[in-house]
Amino acid sequence: MTRPLLVGLVPLAVACSGSSRPPAQVDTAPSDTSQEEEAEDEVTLPPELDLDVAVTLDGEPAADVRVGQPGTDRYVMTDSSGAATLTIDTTIHGSLAVAASHPDARIKGEEFYKEVPESIELALERFDKGDNRLYVFQDSGTPERSDNTNYCSHCHQTFVFDWWDSPHRSATSNVVVHDLYAGVAAAWSEAAACEAAGGVMRTGLEPGTGATVERCYLGEGVLPALNDDCGVTESCDGVAELTGACADCHAPAIDGELGGRDLLEAGELAYETGIGCDVCHKVESVDLDAVEPGVAGRLQIVRPTEEGSPSFGDYAPLTFGPYHDVLNPRMGSVYRDHYTNGELCAGCHEYEQEVLVSGGVLDETRWPEGRLPVHSTWSEWAAGPLGDAVSCNACHMPPASETGNGADLGNYISDDWVDTATGWFREPGAVRKHAWYGPRSETERMLDLAASVSLEVSQADDAVSVAASVANVGPAHAIPTGEPLRHMLLVVDATCDGDRLTPTAGDVVPDYGGSRARKEAGEDWTTWSDAEVGDRIRVLARSGEWHDYTGFGPFGDGSFDAEAKGLAVEEFVGEVEILGVDSDAVTLSAELPDGDLAVLVRDGGEVPADGGVPSDLAGRPGFGFARVMVGPDGARMVPHFLAVDIASDNRLLPGSSWRSEHTFEGCAEGELEVIASLVYRRLPIELAEERGWEVADQVMASVTWALGASE
Amino acid sequence: MKARTHLLWVVAWWGCSAPEPGPSDPSSVSTGEEVDQEADDDTADDKSLPQPVFANPAEAEDLDDSDGVVEIALAAAPHTHELIDWRTGETLTVEGYAYNGQTPGPTIRARKGDLLRVTLDNQLDDATTIHWHGVDAPWEMDGHTWMIDPIAAGETFTYEVPLEQTGTFWYHPHFDTNRQVDMGLYGVLIVEDPDEDGAFDEDLVLVLDDWIDRVDEVGEEGAVDHGMALGEGLWAVNGLVQPLLELEGGTAVRARVLNAANEGYVALGLQDDGEDRTLARIAGDQGLLEALAEDERVVLAPGDRIELALTPGSEAQALVDHPYDHRGGEILGDAVALLDLEPSGGGDPATVPDLPWTGEATSEDPGTTDVLYVFQGDSSTGEWFINGEVFPDVTVASLDLDQTAVIEVRNLSPTEHPFHLHGLVFEVLSLDGVAPEHRTLEDTVNLDIYGTARLLVTADNPGDWMAHCHILPHGDGGMMTVLRVE
Repeated sequence: MTRPLLVGLVPLAVACSGSSRPPAQVDTAPSDTSQEEEAEDEVTLPPELDLDVAVTLDGEPAADVRVGQPGTDRYVMTDSSGAATLTIDTTIHGSLAVAASHPDARIKGEEFYKEVPESIELALERFDKGDNRLYVFQDSGTPERSDNTNYCSHCHQTFVFDWWDSPHRSATSNVVVHDLYAGVAAAWSEAAACEAAGGVMRTGLEPGTGATVERCYLGEGVLPALNDDCGVTESCDGVAELTGACADCHAPAIDGELGGRDLLEAGELAYETGIGCDVCHKVESVDLDAVEPGVAGRLQIVRPTEEGSPSFGDYAPLTFGPYHDVLNPRMGSVYRDHYTNGELCAGCHEYEQEVLVSGGVLDETRWPEGRLPVHSTWSEWAAGPLGDAVSCNACHMPPASETGNGADLGNYISDDWVDTATGWFREPGAVRKHAWYGPRSETERMLDLAASVSLEVSQADDAVSVAASVANVGPAHAIPTGEPLRHMLLVVDATCDGDRLTPTAGDVVPDYGGSRARKEAGEDWTTWSDAEVGDRIRVLARSGEWHDYTGFGPFGDGSFDAEAKGLAVEEFVGEVEILGVDSDAVTLSAELPDGDLAVLVRDGGEVPADGGVPSDLAGRPGFGFARVMVGPDGARMVPHFLAVDIASDNRLLPGSSWRSEHTFEGCAEGELEVIASLVYRRLPIELAEERGWEVADQVMASVTWALGASE
Repeated sequence: MKARTHLLWVVAWWGCSAPEPGPSDPSSVSTGEEVDQEADDDTADDKSLPQPVFANPAEAEDLDDSDGVVEIALAAAPHTHELIDWRTGETLTVEGYAYNGQTPGPTIRARKGDLLRVTLDNQLDDATTIHWHGVDAPWEMDGHTWMIDPIAAGETFTYEVPLEQTGTFWYHPHFDTNRQVDMGLYGVLIVEDPDEDGAFDEDLVLVLDDWIDRVDEVGEEGAVDHGMALGEGLWAVNGLVQPLLELEGGTAVRARVLNAANEGYVALGLQDDGEDRTLARIAGDQGLLEALAEDERVVLAPGDRIELALTPGSEAQALVDHPYDHRGGEILGDAVALLDLEPSGGGDPATVPDLPWTGEATSEDPGTTDVLYVFQGDSSTGEWFINGEVFPDVTVASLDLDQTAVIEVRNLSPTEHPFHLHGLVFEVLSLDGVAPEHRTLEDTVNLDIYGTARLLVTADNPGDWMAHCHILPHGDGGMMTVLRVE
């Protein structure tokens, strides 16, 4: 095939444009050409042309520079003299060009307008790897705010649309994060509601604006927990000296010094756009050995120092990304593979901490390195069977097939214009959605793919025996993973002709499944504050034995024995209903059986429904899977900033499974049905209720086993 | 052209050669000719050669005159393929393989209840097998190499396969599958149902395959893949690029369509002067549907078959491919004509023949899962798994003989995957939670990204059955497992 090459004057526009987008502010690179001038002639090129390329780096011949043709995967490496010969494919759709990519320099190249020369020189310049604290992060824009190149959204609309709805965008403005940071409950903004919930109104700072406002201070928070000098009679907002590492990942785009910043310093833009385009694409390298998370250490941010231009702003553009051939000078691109191999994710989805809470002491016999694993998604993946074989992007960033490249070539941008300004087409699958689908994605139910539940049921006249197995069948990391407040609950129910069968023995949902109160043997089980008619008291027995399991880190590498793994065997003994309440004294439907533990629950006994309001599941036949952080007072399932230990971590590693066993009364004459549901909760029910967070149960998997009496 | 290298398996490079009319070809369409386009033809501006005339692949000769037995001789041998793009004048020459010197291989035509006996003469330098895709063959005749040796170079083997199903099936190697199919070893097996005799005027076989010549790029460091999405693949029908099918207006045509590509998808549509028309789909992988299905587009994954009722009137039509890629589904680009239909003689369109539809509804999903397959992998690493395992180091799932079971297949990877099960037909209970309106029997079903398929199977064929992705680089790369029925 031969190609006609327009000989004449072709514009080099370095901003995007297109027929379907608003009029753009078009910046142009130095050029004396005019878009209005017409093509003057055509010449026919052979399908391939050899181009001799000489590359220098800061004026010296540069070896090992990747010289490629944008829009193709063709490339060669320069030799020790900086030379290489690249065979140009002239049949591609779009302009012909060459690009030189070196890890220490912005990509540089040439687009050919009048002819493809026989040789070309490309002069690369090292960029300054020192970070520039004076640089102001660029506004990512919004789906609505995209009318000029000050916004990333001007040329990357699809990416911004996806990102806008993603958890990354809302990482800084996340209400739960701010509530746990300051020790407040934003939901109780009125004094009466606050006090009714047990909180107190104090003067503090409004997240995002820094304005002085009245806030409801309630429960634990990073600032009061870490600082002794505040949080008792006055808020810690703006005065706390110790701020933890929250902002290092949750608000990385606070301008100025990086690392160790106060989350409340996140101003309007940093607050609204969270983990935005510019900060993510300013990651020069990932230091996997650094302890400090995010922009404080693991993510090495480089903001440019080189002088800019009237078109580009105060500093020369500098953008790290997954391509070797981005020539648009507005990007100032440098290739980095951490955008495709998942290392970038390790910047924040891997985090260990020392004991942070004031006065807390770590048990160094259990944690000899002095730190507790908090987020270990990266390590779980790396140690798993799919580590290195399936990158984070493979599952969480599916292809964005609706666009020809990251600059919306072919959808918002006409595919008649394929050049330096718009970029070149990428092969299908190369452009990935910037949505980061995960457990909270409403459109892409990844939780539905993660786990399986299966049942084995047998029955005799007087008993129904159920074995329920839960497996991590999909993810390359543990489930649940990430924030340790997340947990999974297996709930097993049996009915006979539609009536619930009474459990008689077997594993139960642990404490973090939710309860109103718990009492040990020896305490008064006949009085319960806040009990209501219809509540139930579940009695459990402790066998004194411990479940053994293979979990993450010391919970699976042989460091801990079963007892140290902290999963006490608790079995269902019996359950009674509260029929009456007189002050704290309760009237029960039956005599309470003997046991080691009594749990007061508000649970109608329904099978948990997807999207349903969470109820108290503790003590029901089932099981639980979580990393249970322990506070200095022994409280379990505490937020990680309070943690001094990890009681247990039986989250399901990739490919692993767990089998729990349960017994119910018999159903000899009726129609037996057994339902097992695996419920995902991103927050413990008690904590969510305390702070007024609206959370819903997410059913990951459910299986029903039915057998008619006649069968 | 540079020599092939081992890197070629990752690119789409399809071998085809022009078909010939077979001795038992029931079609009345003309073959082996070329026609001149009218000067005002839309495609005339670019063409430098006449448009080829559509032809069915030549049919295999039945060497056994007796009823109830179809005996075929196949020889797999090296073959030089030529693919001519008449629109550009370019010719692609590929040194590949063929059955009986033709690609697609000879169409085998049989009747329900026949015994198919095929002797394969392996004249290749490599071992090979034949897999009867979609047919519930006996385990030892299925062509896989799981605990069975392939047919060595220079050896012969006789397959005997009872044919109890009806529909459009196909045959291809199941050893070094990606490469050998790529080289041109595939053909169609038609098992006719007497109840459908005489329903159509014409019976066409359309074997789709895509060609991309990237050989010149292979061997240069890093230059494996061209990287351009639009207009790259060149689809051929029976080895012909956009052939012309001339037929009488008012003719009722049964078009049996197979996607034989290694990894290329087709989003099939019917256009009339650029306007989308409805496709009348009468059959799927496993013969006649329960009811006529009308679609604007049908995605054919590799290994998939459908049958269409084409009923042209006086207007020219075209079967087109809407750009589609397993790495994300619909992609940018314009529809490309695969086959031009040019009716002559005017007349009203024929009606879709009345076929023995049953209208049976989809079976109820019992809600339990007996076998779960999770597809995982990464196109950037080229590593593919089922349940975290790579074939042949797999956990063998088992079903009891005659057990009715549910297989659930989930896709947690960044590409679509056609799930293919050997030896057992399955009913699609649901795709992504949505049940088909009518009972749908398949042997290959496509999974969207993040998709889930629930499949009902009766384990009535004992043996160890391959279950795999029919994107052949994925299957050969390890995305395959074994389902045991005993």
